[in-house]
Amino acid sequence: MKLLIIEDERSLLASIVQYFNQEKFLCETAGSYHEGIRKIEDFQYDCIILDINLPGGSGLQLLKYLRENKNKDGVIIISARDSLDDRIAGLDIGADDYLTKPFHLSELNARVRALIRRKYAEGSSILEMGVLKVDLPSRTVISANQPLSLSKIEYNLLLFLMTNKNRVVSRQAIAEHIHDGPSEQVPSFDFVYSHIKNLKRKLKEKGCHEIIHTVYGLGYKLSL
Amino acid sequence: MSKSLQQKNTYYLLIWLPLVLLIGSMVFYILMSKHAHHMAEEQLELKQKNIWNALMANREGVASHITGEYDLVKGNLVRSDLLYKQRDTAIYYPASKDWIAFKVLTEQHLLKDQPYQLTTYISSKEITHLIIKVFIAEIFVFLLLLIAIIIINRKSSTLLWRPFYATMRAVNEYDITKSPSLPLPQQTGIGEFDQLNQVITRLLGNVTQAYSNQKQFVENASHELQTPLAIIRSKLDLLINTPHLTEETADLLADITEANDHLSQMNRNLLLLTKIDNNQFPDQSTINVSHILEKLLAYYQDYYDGSLPRIQKSIQPHISLKANASLLEILLTNLIHNAFVHNIPNGYIDIRLDRHELIIENTGHPIEGETDWLFERFKKGREESKTTGLGLSLVKRICLIYRFQLKYHYSENIHRITVTFEPA
Repeated sequence: MKLLIIEDERSLLASIVQYFNQEKFLCETAGSYHEGIRKIEDFQYDCIILDINLPGGSGLQLLKYLRENKNKDGVIIISARDSLDDRIAGLDIGADDYLTKPFHLSELNARVRALIRRKYAEGSSILEMGVLKVDLPSRTVISANQPLSLSKIEYNLLLFLMTNKNRVVSRQAIAEHIHDGPSEQVPSFDFVYSHIKNLKRKLKEKGCHEIIHTVYGLGYKLSL
Repeated sequence: MSKSLQQKNTYYLLIWLPLVLLIGSMVFYILMSKHAHHMAEEQLELKQKNIWNALMANREGVASHITGEYDLVKGNLVRSDLLYKQRDTAIYYPASKDWIAFKVLTEQHLLKDQPYQLTTYISSKEITHLIIKVFIAEIFVFLLLLIAIIIINRKSSTLLWRPFYATMRAVNEYDITKSPSLPLPQQTGIGEFDQLNQVITRLLGNVTQAYSNQKQFVENASHELQTPLAIIRSKLDLLINTPHLTEETADLLADITEANDHLSQMNRNLLLLTKIDNNQFPDQSTINVSHILEKLLAYYQDYYDGSLPRIQKSIQPHISLKANASLLEILLTNLIHNAFVHNIPNGYIDIRLDRHELIIENTGHPIEGETDWLFERFKKGREESKTTGLGLSLVKRICLIYRFQLKYHYSENIHRITVTFEPA
């Protein structure tokens, strides 16, 4: 899987690259508008992570150029601007997703994976892990051949953890991910605990033991 | 209590003008009666001369006594110390049964070596009457003057101060968050007020400049903060995934993550406040408040699974408002969010919505003393690090924009926020 990350903040770029390398992605980077243009002309990518404020030009311009050249690479905009207008402008030009800085890398990962799944129907639409099977189109979960009835939040939570499997996902990242209200007001993450507890209980009832691990006070990790 | 300029002016006029007029009329009275008496004295002396001359010219045919006119007596009847001096006396008139006051002058004349005393009379009644009548007329004129001065003064001060009141009204209605400038007339027709308007315009210019600098600063600062916050967040995400974390480091990382997220949230809200201040939410549409409320409640009920407060609601369907969709949603989310977050175990939330108002009542922790400051930035009901202290000031700003009335009431652990609005 090939990623292009266009971001002028070196330190942030390095973090993203490191994270996705661990996820077995192949990462290309660009630090400016022109470097970005060059890279998209030379190669095809599964997903482009694009910052808006770039030296040499705007990320939106780059996106426009990309779409005008019938390039269908998936694009996720990462931007410090979080107004509805910016969001709409980005999506109108042809971005597939829009993520506001500061974001959690686990969230970016979830977005990238969702985009790739959506865009290329990568593999099947079923996510599998041990005895756990998630059918994405119908949003149903099957554990050891038994259907699992989950609330919307629990389903999103499980999917998020599965996308970031074998990684510690912070409570804050989970809280922000399962929160679907306006981004201005993220509910406190104290309640993540109770959702995790319910999810764990339901998984256990259906024969799926101990796959969600609590990592001290930091967060949670889903692994077999 | 300060009185209005006009009242004050009238008040002073009413105190001092009658006093001045009183003194004036007293002086007038004294001068007039002095002059009147002087005139009478001269008349009396003239009469003395005329009558003596008439008597000399026609010695036989003239009566030696006419009541109230003159009296000619041979010899020294009147004491010599009373001669040549004007005296007062009164004569009884039987016909009208009345004493009438007279001024009397007796002079001694020699005729063929015989002393004669001629006494002439002049009535002082007419003079007294004249003085009284003139004095009454004068009081009347003075009263007229007093009333005229007060009326003219009031009228002219109303006219004169009109530009002042116009300026005052304009300044009073001025809201720095809404418009950057305040157009004041530079030509009012009165120099002082032209000057006043110039001074105010200059002052407001400086204030607006400072205000916009301040806003710009907050916006820039918030924007600039986003990047380092994003970097810290990404590094923390990497750090918590490093192998062989000890519990001690994990605890430290948890605290750092929490503080960093808190900072991000605060920064986001601060940016939002600045945007609202900068009128960056101009689009308006008709928004179904009932729908948003139900959606939010359903969401929070889902989210706050387990420790949920009891929820009572009476939400009338299809209540709509004309507003910016984002702003209205921020307003409602913050209010509902507060009711959930600041609740206590086994508490309740009561939400009522109708065409006129939205009332959100919830149990919560006690608040000491005054509560007005709750809507200020960075003010919190309790020392809790989990809230940004900006939620209610967002609510306040949004209410201000749409002229919703925002009321907060607290008593015995029950908090009630009422938002009164005009339906679209």
